[in-house]
Amino acid sequence: MIIKKLCKVVGDQYVSESTGERYIYSQDMTENEPCQPIAIVMPESVEEIQAILKIANETKTRIVPFITGQNVGGLTIPQVEESIIIDLKRMDKILQVDEEAMYALVEPGVTFGHMRRYLDAHHPELRYTYPLAPPYTSVVANALLQGLCDLSTRHGAMADFVNGLEAVLPTGELVRVGSGILGEDNWFGRYPLPDLVGLFSGWQGMSGIVTKMALQLFPKPPHIEHAALFTFGEEPTTEILKRIARKQILDDADCMSLSLVKMLLGVDYPVEALDGEPDYATLIAVSGNTEREVLEKLSVVEDEMERAKSKEPRQLLVTWDAISKLMGEQARSWIDFPSDAFKILTEFDGLTWVGTYIHPKAWGKALAGGRKIVERYEFELMAFLKPMNGMHFAEFKFIIRFPKDIENIERVKRCNSELLDFALDNGAIPYKTPVWAAKKLQERIDPQFIALLRRIKRSLDPNNIMNPGRWNL
Amino acid sequence: MTKEPSVISEWLHRCIRCGNCKYIFRDYDKSCPSGQHYRFESYFASGKIWIARGIESKELDFDESLLGPIFSCPTCGSCEIQCQAPHQEHIVDIIEELRAHAVETLGPLPKHKGFLEKIQKHNNPYGEIHHNRELVNIHGLPDKAENVYFVGCTSNYRETSIRDATIHILKTSGMNFTVIDEVCCGSPLLRTGQRAEVKKLVKHNLVKIKEAGAKRIITSCAGCFRTIKKDYQKFEKDFKLEVIHISQLLPSLIESGRLTFKHTKDSPRITYHDPCHLGRHMGVYNEPRNVISVLPVEMVEMSRNRENAWCCGAGGGCRAAFPEFSLATGKVRIAEADEIGAELLVSTCPFCVSQLREVNDTDMKVLDLTELLSSLIR
Ligand SMILES: Cc1cc2nc3c(=O)[nH]c(=O)nc-3n(C[C@H](O)[C@H](O)[C@H](O)COP(=O)(O)OP(=O)(O)OC[C@H]3O[C@@H](n4cnc5c(N)ncnc54)[C@H](O)[C@@H]3O)c2cc1C
Repeated sequence: MIIKKLCKVVGDQYVSESTGERYIYSQDMTENEPCQPIAIVMPESVEEIQAILKIANETKTRIVPFITGQNVGGLTIPQVEESIIIDLKRMDKILQVDEEAMYALVEPGVTFGHMRRYLDAHHPELRYTYPLAPPYTSVVANALLQGLCDLSTRHGAMADFVNGLEAVLPTGELVRVGSGILGEDNWFGRYPLPDLVGLFSGWQGMSGIVTKMALQLFPKPPHIEHAALFTFGEEPTTEILKRIARKQILDDADCMSLSLVKMLLGVDYPVEALDGEPDYATLIAVSGNTEREVLEKLSVVEDEMERAKSKEPRQLLVTWDAISKLMGEQARSWIDFPSDAFKILTEFDGLTWVGTYIHPKAWGKALAGGRKIVERYEFELMAFLKPMNGMHFAEFKFIIRFPKDIENIERVKRCNSELLDFALDNGAIPYKTPVWAAKKLQERIDPQFIALLRRIKRSLDPNNIMNPGRWNL
Repeated sequence: MTKEPSVISEWLHRCIRCGNCKYIFRDYDKSCPSGQHYRFESYFASGKIWIARGIESKELDFDESLLGPIFSCPTCGSCEIQCQAPHQEHIVDIIEELRAHAVETLGPLPKHKGFLEKIQKHNNPYGEIHHNRELVNIHGLPDKAENVYFVGCTSNYRETSIRDATIHILKTSGMNFTVIDEVCCGSPLLRTGQRAEVKKLVKHNLVKIKEAGAKRIITSCAGCFRTIKKDYQKFEKDFKLEVIHISQLLPSLIESGRLTFKHTKDSPRITYHDPCHLGRHMGVYNEPRNVISVLPVEMVEMSRNRENAWCCGAGGGCRAAFPEFSLATGKVRIAEADEIGAELLVSTCPFCVSQLREVNDTDMKVLDLTELLSSLIR
């Protein structure tokens, strides 16, 4: 019955109950349990989304928004039976780019690759910011998930780049938040207003369907330089990172286990850490309006490295020139975002991590403790730590790539569970949280926060149709 | 067919569905005709790979609803170019193996079954009266020759001017060649999961080629070329004959002066459509372009070209079984050529040419390279 109604809204060809579709949309690359939706619907307009949500609300049908399902957290897997997935990839227009206030107004199906293509072609002076994700993942979804990107060390999580948005509420009403409430062509920011972006940001599709989002763009700097630090020891590495990040000169800094670099260089699976090699490689990016500005910034980094060397002479700074000479063209493809480096994470059909945001005091401990856990489970060492927003906090995770068979899934589950317990012990908050992780988090956090979440959810979604069960709500 | 190892099980745990197969790598333009048309995940290569995984791991059983996603793909192979994962070179093989399993379980699609029935009855998938050997008399060809021109069913029964142009070129340049009593190369069956009958066709063709005493096979069809050069080895381990596409022969004929061309007053604006079976499947990109470069024409490239060329939509059994999708895909290619102001759209495959002619609603002319060349021969 509901299927017929949905067909009327979007047309028969954009509703699928097929076995293949239900199988594919029931799972992702993570260890999280699959659950088949009853159908997948693919709207093209705001009106269609409104109509779908009105029908869903009347019939109490559960809805899960989906764009490309690449969140690495199982977040588009329905948590309850009989759900319908709303695939938004047909809504893929870049509606407006404001050169002066530097923002783009985009639909949810716009991917990072398409943003890059569009800006290069039409606004070459402007850039967006890109994660280390495959290029065909959603810009809007990543901002909603408060993800991280190649300007996060400087500007913070991607949710901070949201100037405002338009969304369809679970009851079908269309709302806007941010300065866009004062009319079109006016999406310059979210203040000074009650900041209602927070009703959607971080909610994993539980509070409505975002149909437009205004996102900050940035001037493309005329000069960008990269360099790599090769460092030994968890505490010394994070000390160096903190000192450099505090100088507030970095656009980006990705600190990773050396294994990740070896993977980039083509070392075959499984990549092992060898005695005597550096533990970590950190890729840094600095930019400026003049070459001199960039060189000055780099010299600040050099000074910090000199200081670090006095304690541990093996700590090393390598210029990008040297790396390019060694690596040739591929070195450029790693730093030209959307970067090709994501390739190393597509070795198998399984990929997972416990991703967290974490206080600077715990960085060293987190890397060292996480390493022990991962080594015990005999996975490759793939730690990743990115100082965020100046250096107010960091993103921290251990990545696991694995063939997704029953045995590995079980091993991954146990490893991730330990990693999360350890991260929570260190005050880290998991992001893109699968339900099992949300449960663990909720056992420890202020219950009033959960009560408040539930109240907001109830008032926005009285019939609990939007992604029910997610975040264990 | 000699028992091949299963590519599905070999690459079972590789695809995370990152979506790179959906768009041109680093260019971010569309690359997957099927996914672009139907939009659901199962229509992209990654979706088909996951269906294959589901079937192989017994999480999924074949049913009718799987047939659309599995078969409505021209197997153009763009996904293999764009994919950056370890299984990248095997995606088309995975799709074809999945199709073969589907056929074993549910039988072929009705339209595809028609190919088989017509081939069994008439030796060609068009159901036309088999007549290949008559060409020997018409063109005064020898019984035995160094080269066999494998005409292919589309040139022989539909786009006959491509066959005639090819014979004209080969004769003009003094090539020692003949044609054999050929039957369908097997491509329409292989591409649609109907592998069982192909061995017979392969055997027949190879016997006839041997009887003709040929050392080399020349095709004017990209599909026949791919099938004979790449697939025949799977049926006949000892298959060692040289196989070339006419576009690979032409540069030497031109260089050696065996083919010369008229001077024309104007030089039309021309663009080249890479057939998937010649380009992505076999890596032949330069030779047709080299030939075009010596003609009195102005060559312009479409925005998606060479390994990123947008498919004409005809292949993989799509034109017969999914005409709406297939024609819509071809129209996109016509629009792309029209956008750059091409007056001539030239390709090197009778099936592409036939498809592009069918959907062409512009003033632009669609020609096979052999037709163009034949018209310019002095
Ligand atoms: C190899 C790899 C590397 C990655 N690296 C990074 C990285 O460096 N940084 C980073 O931040 N991320 C990274 N990611 C994660 C990923 O890129 C993002 O999470 C992704 O951009 C989200 O887009 P999506 O299309 O996958 O969203 P989906 O997975 O389809 O959706 C994500 C969530 O948002 C909800 N949702 C989707 N659309 C809407 C909407 N319109 N309204 C409301 N809710 C909605 C969904 O229900 C779901 O809960 C990586 C992923 C992979 C596979």
